[in-house]
Amino acid sequence: MTMMTGQQYRESLRRLKPEVYYQGEKIENLADHPAFLPHVNAAALTYDMALAPEFEELLTATSHLTGEKINRFTHIHHSHDDLVKKVKMLRALGQQTGSCFQRCVGFDGLNSVYSITYDIDQKMSTDYHKRLINVLKMIQSKDLMVSGAMTDVKGNRRLSPSQQADPDLYVHVVEKKKDGIVVRGAKAHITGGVNSHGHLVMPTSAMKAEDADYAVCFYVPVDAHGVVHIFGRQTNDTRKCECFMDQGNCEYGIVGGEALIVFDNVFVPWEHVFMCGEYEFAYELVERFATAHRQNYGGCKTGLADALIGATYALAQVQGTDRASHTRDKLVEMVHLTETLYCCSIACSCQGYALPAGSYMADPLLANVTKLNVTREVYEIARLAQDIAGGILATAPSEMDWKDERVGKYVDKYLKGIAEVPTETRLRLLRLIEGMTCGTALVESMHGAGSPQAQRIMIERQANFERKKRLAEKLAKIGEQPLLVC
Amino acid sequence: MSKKSRQFKVALKYCGSCNPRVDLRRIARHLAKVAEERGDFQLVPLSESDIDVVVILCGCPRACGNKEEVKARAKRSLVTAGESVNRRAVPEAELPIAVEQELDKILNG
Repeated sequence: MTMMTGQQYRESLRRLKPEVYYQGEKIENLADHPAFLPHVNAAALTYDMALAPEFEELLTATSHLTGEKINRFTHIHHSHDDLVKKVKMLRALGQQTGSCFQRCVGFDGLNSVYSITYDIDQKMSTDYHKRLINVLKMIQSKDLMVSGAMTDVKGNRRLSPSQQADPDLYVHVVEKKKDGIVVRGAKAHITGGVNSHGHLVMPTSAMKAEDADYAVCFYVPVDAHGVVHIFGRQTNDTRKCECFMDQGNCEYGIVGGEALIVFDNVFVPWEHVFMCGEYEFAYELVERFATAHRQNYGGCKTGLADALIGATYALAQVQGTDRASHTRDKLVEMVHLTETLYCCSIACSCQGYALPAGSYMADPLLANVTKLNVTREVYEIARLAQDIAGGILATAPSEMDWKDERVGKYVDKYLKGIAEVPTETRLRLLRLIEGMTCGTALVESMHGAGSPQAQRIMIERQANFERKKRLAEKLAKIGEQPLLVC
Repeated sequence: MSKKSRQFKVALKYCGSCNPRVDLRRIARHLAKVAEERGDFQLVPLSESDIDVVVILCGCPRACGNKEEVKARAKRSLVTAGESVNRRAVPEAELPIAVEQELDKILNG
């Protein structure tokens, strides 16, 4: 059992044959394709950093199944320390990549399915938990990257899965065989979907008895027959193929690399099936996954914000605005917002708790508050970065013009900031800020791990308004007058 | 068990009640009533010696009162954490009875 290096991860991807399409073409070797390379690079860093002594404490853990040292992304949390280290790991990675490194979704999926399979088995006398443990051992021993595939395409949102005009708008079981099941449907927005080794597929919402065929959870290799990946577009994605500096973050990209994954009559052996018809557990699985994933956002996004603040500060210096009081105020505000988000993630981790399976999950209320804050404050951090950067953020000439024999000298001369710093530095910082604050990157903060309304619904469920009312009634001398409201 | 036999010593320990999601006092009141009616156990302060069971009453799943030093004060322990008893989900309305039953299992099981 060994943890992979980033290079070994790349080589492992080259050995796989997933069916991937992008801009109308079938992609044969995505590990070396410029459209996918930034996402592969970011994911590779989750391997390399685990082997770096500086990050070992955060990026590795001890498997509770084997006692072996494993990459934390394959670990099941068994303490508050595990939950806190997860957040710290995400921040450390976000600082290094300035982008999504994708591996947390499957991590959260594994943790959620681990605990829910235990609960299902307790009530239904099934053996899903044992199956999950066997798959988990394989994932840990091979150090695999697993995508978490939850969001169905959903069709008409007013209708439940079984009421849709097209029955395939939610992933469902179409056939049960002696040796496994056949599934059909599609999952949308799947981060790291094309450069993972396998997909952990989970139901996306609460289910009723009539939706039982849609209450299905399973693991499938990325190159299983019938699994088709259609890679999503991103803001300025053609820059990946035509230039370097204008990408801003050419090494790691602007988001995680999301894909629509189609399951076209895919066979899944029973040993990889972790829920099949137990509809009454679908909502609990969704809630646990959502909690785990929303816990993350004050970790990874604050890591990104650290890099963005650094870019903004450096650009202000290059442009000679760094000493202006309003610039310093705005930079401080960016830090304040960033650390507020981090506080949320740390808090929901510290307030987490053990589940019957013995694994730990973050506090659902605080995790949802974390993510709801991210849907707002990341935008405000980006707005302040754009404010300090100035309009040149949106109007700077291209890298090709800067390199052009005829006009390059003008770009160099007239876009210079302070005399001591080359124009190239200014342009590079501008492009980095552009990539981190314009377009797809921000939408990820809004809708990744669920849209704001999903967080509001879960916050309302956890709010305990009745107790708050009793507290107010005591103070206002309404009704009974207990000394303490407990 | 008759009142003449040795009474078990049961102590209660609250988590601190920073933001409880369930009414812990209702559980405590119920246990006090049961102790009075049955007579086979008495509620004692946690500072006493030879405690048989400590019932750790926590207002939410975080279970802040569930600490080794608390559990070490008694031979056995029982933990309520929000709507659960010993990690088994229990609706708030049924918590007092569920705690009584778990305690009975420990004392007489």
